[in-house]
Amino acid sequence: MNYSKIKKIEYYLPGLILTNQELQKKFPEWNAEKIEKKTGIKERHIVEKDETALDLAFKAAEKVLKNYNKEKIDFLLFCTQSTEYYLPSGACILQDKLNLNTNIGAFDYNLGCSGFIYGIAMAKSFIKSGIANNVLLITSEAYTKYIHPKDKSNRTIFGDGAAATIIEKSDNEGIFEVSLGTDGSGYKNLIVPNGGLRNRYDINAKEIDDGSGSIRTNNNIYMNGPEIFNFTIDAVPKVVSNVLKKNKTKIEEIDYVIFHQANKYMIEYLRKKIKIPKEKFYINMLHTGNTVSATIPIALKDCFYNKIVKTGDKVLIVGFGVGYSWGATIIEI
Amino acid sequence: MKTNEFIEELKETLELEDVEINENTNLKDLEEYDSLSVLAIIAMIDENFGKKLSGQDFQSITTVKSLMELIGKDCFE
Repeated sequence: MNYSKIKKIEYYLPGLILTNQELQKKFPEWNAEKIEKKTGIKERHIVEKDETALDLAFKAAEKVLKNYNKEKIDFLLFCTQSTEYYLPSGACILQDKLNLNTNIGAFDYNLGCSGFIYGIAMAKSFIKSGIANNVLLITSEAYTKYIHPKDKSNRTIFGDGAAATIIEKSDNEGIFEVSLGTDGSGYKNLIVPNGGLRNRYDINAKEIDDGSGSIRTNNNIYMNGPEIFNFTIDAVPKVVSNVLKKNKTKIEEIDYVIFHQANKYMIEYLRKKIKIPKEKFYINMLHTGNTVSATIPIALKDCFYNKIVKTGDKVLIVGFGVGYSWGATIIEI
Repeated sequence: MKTNEFIEELKETLELEDVEINENTNLKDLEEYDSLSVLAIIAMIDENFGKKLSGQDFQSITTVKSLMELIGKDCFE
C-alpha cells in the first residue's frame, strides 16, 4: 500500500512585528493586556510593503528543503489567498525559485483556515494513487495586505506567516481518514469584496464604520465575527465527531488535539463544548496571531519541538473558516 | 432562567467587576463592550439556551432587555 506520512515541517514569520502596545497607541480605547487576555495574542508578524505571501512561502520552503534532497520533490501544492498575480499560479513561480525539478506537478489552491487539512488530504491521495511520492505543501498567508489601517478588530487578530510541509510515501499510515465540509452560503461573512473581477478595486471606495471602532472599505477584508463564530459552533463539533467516527476511534484514544488557532476565546469555547480535556488541547497564538492556513503546521512544529507531542502520537487536527470551508483528520507524528 | 440569574451570568460574561447593570442598561454604552464581548455573549447564549443570534441581531441590540427579547421571552421566568 502507498501510505503517507508528514516527514518535516518548517515555518517562516516576517521580520516586522506589531505588538499590543502599538495597537493600544493607535486605538487608545484598546488595552494591551486586555487584548492578550481575551485573544491570546501578544504580537503578530506582518509583511513589509514590498513583501508578499509568495516571499514568505519561498523562505519557509527553503528552510524545509535544507538537508533534504530537493530532487525527491515530485509535487508542489501552494495554498494562499494573497496571490501574487491573477495568473500565473504562484506554485509555478515557486518551482523555479526553489530550483525544483520541472517534471513535477504544481498548482495553487485558494483556501483559508481549512487549507492545511485540504493540502494534507490531496497529498495523501496523490501518494495513494501513485501520482506523487514526495509532496511539498506550502500554506502561506498575508491577510494584513487586505486589512484597513483603521480596522482595529482584524489588525488585532491576524498575523502573516508561511509553513512548508513535506509529505512522503511511507510503509505505515501517518495520515488517517479525512472529513471535509463546505457551506458557501456564508461566503459574504469573511470576504475581500473588491479587487477581483466581480467588483474591481475601487480607488474611491468609501470608509465604512462597523459601529465598534473598526473602519474599512470594500477593498479591504471584512469579517462578520458573530456569524463566523456561529458557523464554528455549528460545524466544528460535527466535523470532530465525524472524523472520529470515520476513523473508528474516540477522543480518549487521541493523544493531542490541534485546532486552527483562530483566537483563544473561540477555540477555548469549542474545546469545552466538544469536551476535549484541557491538557490535550493546544492554544498558542501568543507571538503569531491568526496566520490562517499556517496556524496548524506552525502549531505542529512547535508542539514537536517543545516535546508536547512525540513520535507515534495520534493528533487530531481541525481547520475551519473562510468559505465557509472546514476539514479534519488524524495524523501520526 | 430567572432575570436576575441572567444578569449575573451576563456580568460574568462581560467581566464586569465594579459595574452594576440592570435590564435597562445599554450594553453599547459599557466601556467593556467590544467585538470580543459579542463572541462571549454568543457563547453564553449557546451554552445556556442552545440558541444563536445573528450578526444582524447584534447590530440591533441596545439594552439588556433587548438582548433578552432576542433570546426569547419564553426563556425567562
